Amino acid sequence: MKLSDRVTGTFLVGLGLVTAYAGHKLPPVPGQQIGPEVFPVVTGLCIALCGALIAFGIGAKFEEEAEADLAAHGGENIAVVERGPLYKLRVLIPPGLLVFYVLVVDRIGFIPTAAIVAFLAATALGARLKLAAGVAILAPIGIHLIFYKLLRVPLPDGFLPMPWR
Amino acid sequence: MWANYMEAFRLVFAPDVVIAIILSSIYGLVVGSLPGLSATMATALLVPVTFYLSPIAANATIIAASAMAIFSGDIPGALLRIPGTPASAAYTDEAYAMTRKGQAEMALGAGVWFSALGGIAGTISLMALAPPLAEIALSFSTFEYFWLAFLGLMCATLVARSSPVKAIAAMLLGLLVSCVGMENPGGVPRFTFGIADLLGGIEPIPALVGVFAVSEVMRAMLTPDPPPMPKRKFGSIMAGQLHLTKKYWWPMTRGNIVGIIIGVLPGAGADMAAWVSYAMSKKFSKEPEKFGTGHVEGLVEAGASNNASLASGWVPALLFGVPGDTITAIAIGVLYMKGLNPGPTLFTEKASSMYALYIIFIIANIIMIPLGIIMIRLASRILRAPRSGIMPIIVLCCAVGSFATGNSLFAVLTVAAFGVIGYVMEANGYPVAAMVLGIVMGTMVEQSFVTSLIKSDGSIVPFFERPVSAVLAALTIGALAWPVLYWIWRKFLLRPAHA
Amino acid sequence: MTKITRRSFATTAAAAAASLKLGPAFAQENYPNRPIQMICPWGAGGGTDATCRIVSALLEKEFGQPVNVVNRTGGSGVVGHAAIAGATPDGYTLGIITVEIAMMHWAGLTELTPKNYTPLALMNEDPPGIQVSSTSPYKTVKELADAIKASPPGKFKASGTGQGGIWHLALVGWMQAMGLPPNQVAWVPSNGAAPAMQDLAAGGLDLTTCSVPEARAMIDAGKSRCLAVMSPTRTKLYPDVPTLKEAMNIPYTTGAWRGFAAPKGLPAPIANKLTATLKKIYDSKEYAEFMGARGFGTVWNDANGYASFMDTADKQMGDAMKAAGIAKT
Repeated sequence: MKLSDRVTGTFLVGLGLVTAYAGHKLPPVPGQQIGPEVFPVVTGLCIALCGALIAFGIGAKFEEEAEADLAAHGGENIAVVERGPLYKLRVLIPPGLLVFYVLVVDRIGFIPTAAIVAFLAATALGARLKLAAGVAILAPIGIHLIFYKLLRVPLPDGFLPMPWR
Repeated sequence: MWANYMEAFRLVFAPDVVIAIILSSIYGLVVGSLPGLSATMATALLVPVTFYLSPIAANATIIAASAMAIFSGDIPGALLRIPGTPASAAYTDEAYAMTRKGQAEMALGAGVWFSALGGIAGTISLMALAPPLAEIALSFSTFEYFWLAFLGLMCATLVARSSPVKAIAAMLLGLLVSCVGMENPGGVPRFTFGIADLLGGIEPIPALVGVFAVSEVMRAMLTPDPPPMPKRKFGSIMAGQLHLTKKYWWPMTRGNIVGIIIGVLPGAGADMAAWVSYAMSKKFSKEPEKFGTGHVEGLVEAGASNNASLASGWVPALLFGVPGDTITAIAIGVLYMKGLNPGPTLFTEKASSMYALYIIFIIANIIMIPLGIIMIRLASRILRAPRSGIMPIIVLCCAVGSFATGNSLFAVLTVAAFGVIGYVMEANGYPVAAMVLGIVMGTMVEQSFVTSLIKSDGSIVPFFERPVSAVLAALTIGALAWPVLYWIWRKFLLRPAHA
Repeated sequence: MTKITRRSFATTAAAAAASLKLGPAFAQENYPNRPIQMICPWGAGGGTDATCRIVSALLEKEFGQPVNVVNRTGGSGVVGHAAIAGATPDGYTLGIITVEIAMMHWAGLTELTPKNYTPLALMNEDPPGIQVSSTSPYKTVKELADAIKASPPGKFKASGTGQGGIWHLALVGWMQAMGLPPNQVAWVPSNGAAPAMQDLAAGGLDLTTCSVPEARAMIDAGKSRCLAVMSPTRTKLYPDVPTLKEAMNIPYTTGAWRGFAAPKGLPAPIANKLTATLKKIYDSKEYAEFMGARGFGTVWNDANGYASFMDTADKQMGDAMKAAGIAKT
């Protein structure tokens, strides 16, 4: 997802202006001369200004210096292996799993959902079947024990209520 | 006075109090180290337990658990680049860089050692200086808070290791996030898009978990397993800490002082103390170029600062019932419940109980060292565990931890969204830590700015008129103008000399 | 360890079987036979949370079943209140509902009104006080009121909570009762009572109208004075402070209240059992001591009393919010 500064800067200009406009449109509060619109307008305009500076490449020199420093002080670089364009979509797996969790946890319960999430995440990261299955079975039980029993977080039971509720 | 201290020792070394301190310390260490669970939550969950405890034991659990949780938030930050609490976010990158250089024990050792020293310094300030410190707290009106918050925001440019423009942009995005909801001075829903869950705004914890933890897992999806850390024994944790104490004596003391002052001010807590101290450390360091590459100096100062603020945060709580931060807000409830009503009389009529609280602070910070070492040793095992085994557990912790902040699944969606935002920002050189700073400080900036203007009927004169406010304003403007002047001096005045 | 686990597993299984096989009549007879969830729409550590937790702890003792407090925060109370109203009315999800339920629908934040609940009992109400800084020249509420009347609108600044919050409405109500426009005293929104009290002591405000327990620590520290309370009787905390009626012959009273409720449609036998048990808790020494220590006021209203109390409050809040220009509906 490396975009050029021109792209991200332009995006920020747009976002800032939209924010400032939307903030400006907020209704005033009766009885107050300064309402909820001031802060978003100021913030939005500042974002747009920063975006413009970034798009024109101001401050990029610092970044190069910083990178050079980092390299000089022995930070290691992990080479990214280039593969097909679809390979990049793998980054969406973790947020996707969280959305999946939200959609099903109330229906089938915490333990089965967590097991599926853990298994898929482990497999996606290249774990062998034995490790993935181990994580999928043990991690949900351990987390349930800590959060449900110790911290009293109301995790839904679903199909598999744990014995310690 | 000595009779009071003897009585206080008797109160503290009652068996129930000792057991309460030890158990709540372990509890605080565990909760603080789980991504998504903050020190505030650790404390809040203790409240029902305190119903059944004696007054001293009840407050001992709160003191011990909060001190441990603030320190142990550093552990996942250093080992996995996932800060456990917002207070650790300022220096997470630094600590993680040290781990990648094979210095995890030094980073975490510095965390536990300087946290303990900072906690003790904070306690001494509480014991010796409570009344004058309380006067400082009461001299702060919203005008002063505005400048303070503004100074805090400026730390974003110093902390981040990237272009300052991008750091400011990331911080402003954080402010934008804090605009969401109806917790604004107008009390009207703002940028909520008709979603009821957004009325209360976006909580800092799910956002923090998203931009750090989820985006880290997302990066792991694309990169091959990093080369395993050189196989070696996890070294001594305490070795070299005395040397560091001597070497960084002044940054540590400065961190303590800054932490104590920020802690005393209601509303600005350990989070802000860590940021300001880390930024100051870099600003005044002899080797600022090493910051961000795994340099321990900033950890020393920030670690000393955030635990010092924790103790001094009790000053306004004990004297006026005004909470210094969210943790003391909970503690005040417990104090009332147990008949230790905040107020000056607490220091005269209930002096032995007060001294007992001081002693508990000191004890909690001393036992933090052995318990912290055990915790670090246990936690460091995950460095050797395969990544594909650890990351799934982190995803689950993100989901459950953020759910626990308000028992709402909406927080889990927030985490997912901020994971994507954090990933994109990180890939393009926008520091996510600066955004977290913006989210944490946003409400305070807006609140103090708008209420000040309402109070002054739109005039900005009072921002410069009140004495403390004027000093802070001068500091802020100086800090703003300095880099610009320096740049002009270098560019226009130095150039001819070269030519 | 195994033994305990097995036993509790057996209990769970038996309870599950019982609720599956046997009809609702049996379920009502045996209520409660499994853990109860108590929803608190506000964050852990606050006054509502504390009240909710002490009552839950005492309920647990009475029923012999766990009563788990769940903080459903977010949406400034909207989310939690909606969670209580939307739960299954089987008596296993209850909640504490606060004065905001009579305010939020006027502001157009939610459709929920007090009518969406089965009220069980009102157990707490705290009146607002009128506090000034200890350095303030006004010694009585009459002097303060005269100064406010004599000054141009907006010269005096007051705070205590956010814009349109309960203490803002208390101020508006007081102004109207004196025949003044609602914005005679400018409202400075704050993030709760504690920052407002601090700003009062720091000299940034002229008065606060937050509740007496919230102002208590500053008053005890000698940094603030309470001039009057807006309640029918004096508070136990400061018996020397007059009510508004005593001091100025203004009969205006209001307050922030907290009561327990269930989703609409709770079967009457369960509701009656809960109200009876809550009454027992209200009369208990533990409850009185706890609320006394926190300085919280205690009042009792049974299910019917609470319902009509909420109707009155709903109307009062609606009037004040319309006057302040905050109401949308």
